[in-house]
Amino acid sequence: MIVDAAAKIGIEVPIYCYHPALGPLGACRMCLVQVEKMPKLVTGCTTPVAEGMVVHTRGPAVDKGRQGILEFLLINHPLDCPVCDKGGECFLQDYTFRYGPPAGRFSESKLERAKDAPISDFILIDQERCVLCQRCVRFLGEYAGEPQLMLKGRGVETVVAPADDRPVTSPFSGNVIDLCPVGALTSAAYRFKARPWNQVRYPSVCPHCPVGCPVTVTAREEHVMRVEGRPIPDRDWGWLCDRGRFGYDFAVHPSRLLTARLEGRPVPEAAALRQVARWLGEVRDRYGAGAVGFVVGGQHTVEDAYHLRRFAETLVGPGVQLAISQRVRGYLPPWLHGTYDDLEAADAVILIGADPYRAVPVLHLKLRQHWRRKPALPRWGVGVRPLGRETLPLRDLVVRPQAMAATLAWALQRAAKDHPAARAVAAGLGAWEPEDPAAAEALGHVLVASERPLLVWDGHDPEVETVLRALASVRGDRPTPVLPGFGPENARGFEWAGFPGGYEALRRLLEQAASGAIRFLAVWGADLMREVPDAGLVEAALARVEYAVFEGLFPPQGGERFGVWLPGAAWAEEAGTWSTLEGRLSPVAEAVAPPGDARPVRSILAGLARALKRPWTPEAWDPMVGTEAGLLPRPQRPEAEDLPSIAAPPPWRLAGDQLYVVAEADVFAQGAPSEILAPRRPAFWGRVHPETWAAFGSGPSGGRLTLEREGRRWTVSVGPDPTVPRGLLFLPIGVAEAPVYQIGEGPVTVAQPLEVRGG
Amino acid sequence: MFKTVKALAKGLGTTFKALTEPRDTIAYPEKRREYAPRFRGKHMLAKDEDGHELCVGCGLCEAVCPANAIRVVAAEAEPGKPISWTDRYSVDYEVDLIRCIFCGMCEEACPTNAVRLTPFNELAAYSRLDMIADKEELLHPPVRK
Repeated sequence: MIVDAAAKIGIEVPIYCYHPALGPLGACRMCLVQVEKMPKLVTGCTTPVAEGMVVHTRGPAVDKGRQGILEFLLINHPLDCPVCDKGGECFLQDYTFRYGPPAGRFSESKLERAKDAPISDFILIDQERCVLCQRCVRFLGEYAGEPQLMLKGRGVETVVAPADDRPVTSPFSGNVIDLCPVGALTSAAYRFKARPWNQVRYPSVCPHCPVGCPVTVTAREEHVMRVEGRPIPDRDWGWLCDRGRFGYDFAVHPSRLLTARLEGRPVPEAAALRQVARWLGEVRDRYGAGAVGFVVGGQHTVEDAYHLRRFAETLVGPGVQLAISQRVRGYLPPWLHGTYDDLEAADAVILIGADPYRAVPVLHLKLRQHWRRKPALPRWGVGVRPLGRETLPLRDLVVRPQAMAATLAWALQRAAKDHPAARAVAAGLGAWEPEDPAAAEALGHVLVASERPLLVWDGHDPEVETVLRALASVRGDRPTPVLPGFGPENARGFEWAGFPGGYEALRRLLEQAASGAIRFLAVWGADLMREVPDAGLVEAALARVEYAVFEGLFPPQGGERFGVWLPGAAWAEEAGTWSTLEGRLSPVAEAVAPPGDARPVRSILAGLARALKRPWTPEAWDPMVGTEAGLLPRPQRPEAEDLPSIAAPPPWRLAGDQLYVVAEADVFAQGAPSEILAPRRPAFWGRVHPETWAAFGSGPSGGRLTLEREGRRWTVSVGPDPTVPRGLLFLPIGVAEAPVYQIGEGPVTVAQPLEVRGG
Repeated sequence: MFKTVKALAKGLGTTFKALTEPRDTIAYPEKRREYAPRFRGKHMLAKDEDGHELCVGCGLCEAVCPANAIRVVAAEAEPGKPISWTDRYSVDYEVDLIRCIFCGMCEEACPTNAVRLTPFNELAAYSRLDMIADKEELLHPPVRK
C-alpha cells in the first residue's frame, strides 16, 4: 500500500482507519494522495504501489483534499481538548494542526451524542469525538474475533456502540484505547489522571503472565499512571490483554507489604535484616551451606536472581540449595523451547493441555492470526476439556485427566512404529488404548509428519516432557519447537541467572527442608503455599525449617510460618531484565521508587552482608552478553537418550458424590491483586459442567460447594460452564479463596451442597 | 578660603534646587505606585459567575511554563458536586513564585481564561515554602483581575 511504502522512506501520510495489523479499509479518507495519471485523489491505504507509480503526498490538490476531510471531521467534534484524555497525543489534533483548515465554516449547533459512556468497566466512549475510523470495531470483530463493538445508525448519525447494548467483555478490549486515533475510547482508570506531556514513558515488560508482552509504563510523581502496549517493529504489534493493561495498580494495593515484620510485629528494616543475618550466620556456621535454601519467584528481575545466587555462593558458601518456585509439575527442556518465529513458520499447531485464551491471552491472539492467515493447516487441541474456541477453531481430542501423556505416547508410537524412542515411551502402555483411537492416530501423524509443527504445552502433566523428548528424537533434524504456556513469569531468566530450573529442583529442596536437612529457608517473591503444586510438601517444609524468611510484595499464605517478612520492590520499581514466553530477555525500567520500606533485592542483600560483617557488593552483570539480541541460546538436542516409558493411566473411576479437581492457569484469577481489575475477576472460582452443577449445587448461576478430602474441608465458589466435561471441577492456580493445590488434584468428595448465591 | 565658600555654595545650591523639584520616589507603603493594567504580577485562578472554577486542570500552563514553576493535578469531580464548570477540575494547582519569571505564557496558554496574572507584586515571605502559592491562595487573590 502507498502509506506503507511512504512510511518506509520516512514520508508521513496521515491515516486514521488504516492499521498494518488490521489491513486496508479506506473509511476515513484521511490518507488521500495524488497519483499521476489518476483522475482523482486516491486513498493511500487501499491503493497498492505499482512499478513506475508517481505519488504526491503534498501539493495543492492533496492539501485541499485533506483540509476538506478535516473540516468535515470537525463539524460535530466538540473541541473539548482541554478535558480530553487524548489531548497531546491525539491524531485529530496533530493532523488538524499540520494539515487542517485555518477555520471551520460550520456555524450551526453541533450534534450531541453519548459522552463518557462506559462500554465496559475499563473503557469509556465519547461518540462526539469519534471519527468513525472503525479500528476498534475491526480489532475486536476481526482481529480478536469477538465482535462486541459495532457501528450503529446511518449517515451523520453513525456511532460506535457495544453490540446488543451489552458491555464489552473481551480480554483484549483495552487495545482499542491504544488503537483509537482520537479521544473517543479512553481508559476509565486513567481518566483525568495525567497528560501525555507531564509523565515519563518507560519501556518495560508486562509481569502478569509468562508471555511478557512489551509495554510502556508511564509514571508521574512516583505513581504508575497507565500501561500501554509497546509495538516492536517487525516483531510485535504491542497488543496487551486487560490483565496486563489494567493490572498495574497492585503496587499501591492496600494489602501491599510496606514495613518489615519480625514474628508479625512491624520492625525497622535494619532490625529485621540483623535478625535474618543472625539466623543465616548461625545455620551456616553450625550446619554448613547445605542447610540453607533460597527459592526465587514472583516479580524479580534476572539481575535479582543473579545477585541472589552470587550472594548465596559467596556469603553462604558453595553447596547452598537453590530453586525456582513453580506452578506446575512439568518442565520444558530449553532445547525444545520455541520462538514466535516458529509460530510464524508453523505448518501445524498443537495445543497440549494449554488454553492460551485463559493462561497466556496474547499468545492466543498470535495463534488466531496464524489461523486467519492459514486456516487450512492442521490444528489440534489435546486437553482434559475442549480447547477449541470460536476465535481459534481446533480439532479437539479430549482425554481423561492423567491420560494426557499416555494418549500422546500412544499416538506417537502409532505414527512412528519403528522408532526406538517412540517404542520406548509407549512400552509401558500395554494394550491400553485412548478413548478415541482414530483421532489419536491422526494426531500422531500430524506430530510426526508435519515439517514445522508448533506445540503449546501447559506443563500440567510432567510425563508429557518424556513424550516431547521422544517426539523430538523421532523427528530427528526437523525442529520440534514448543512454547511453554505456563509460569512462573521470568522463569527462563532465573535459569539464565544460574538458578536450577524445573519442578524437580524445587521438590528436592522442599523435601530436604521437610526432612530437616535445610534449616534456613529464604523465599524471594514466591507465595509457595498458594502456587506450588504440592502444597502439603510446602506446609511440611515450612513447619520443619528452623528459620523461614519471606521477601515479597504481599503477605504470603501461611505467613505466620515465616519469622521475618521483608517488603520487596515490585515490577516498575526496579530496573533490570525480564524473560518472555519465547525466552527472550527484555529490559524493564524503573519508573517509580519503591514505597515505604520496600527495597530491591540488591539493597536487601547488601544490608544482609553488612549485618553479617562481610564485605559484599552486588557485582555488575550484563545478562544480554551471550544472548542473540536478547534471545537466550538454545542448547543442542541431546543425542539418543534413554527415555522412561509411560505407564497406562488408571481406569477412570469417580464415585457419585465426587468431583475430579483439575488445576488450571487463569490470568485474570492469579497473580498480584488489582482493584481496577476487580470487576473482571471470575464470578466463581471453580467451574463445573451445568449438569454436574445441577447435581451438586442449587441455584442456576452458581454458588458454593464444600469439598472434603481426608477430613479437611474447603468451601469454594463454583459456577456452571458448558465447556467443562462432566465430573470435573476446574480451579484456578494461585487463588487464596480456592486453594487448588491444598485441596489437591484428583477426586474429592462434595460434602454438602449449600446455596449462598444464585437465583 | 573664598574657594571653599564657593564650592559650598555651589553644592548647597544643587541641594536647594533639588528640594523644589518633583520627586522620583514615592513614600511606600503609605503611597503605592499605579501599574499598567497589563502588569504581570502574582497569579490568580478565576471563577465564573456561578462560582465554578474556570480551571479544568488541562495542564497546558504547566506544559508551556518555561521555568517549570507550575504543577497541576487534575481529577474527576464527584457526580452532582461540580467544582469547575465541567466534571474535570484541578485538585492541585501550585505556582512556585520563586521560580516564576512572570512571563505570562500560562495566561496566554489557558484555554478557559482561568489563570491570570494580577498586578499584585508584593511577593515576600520568611520561608521558601511560603512562596509556593497553592490553589486556595490563588483562588483568593489580594487583587483581582
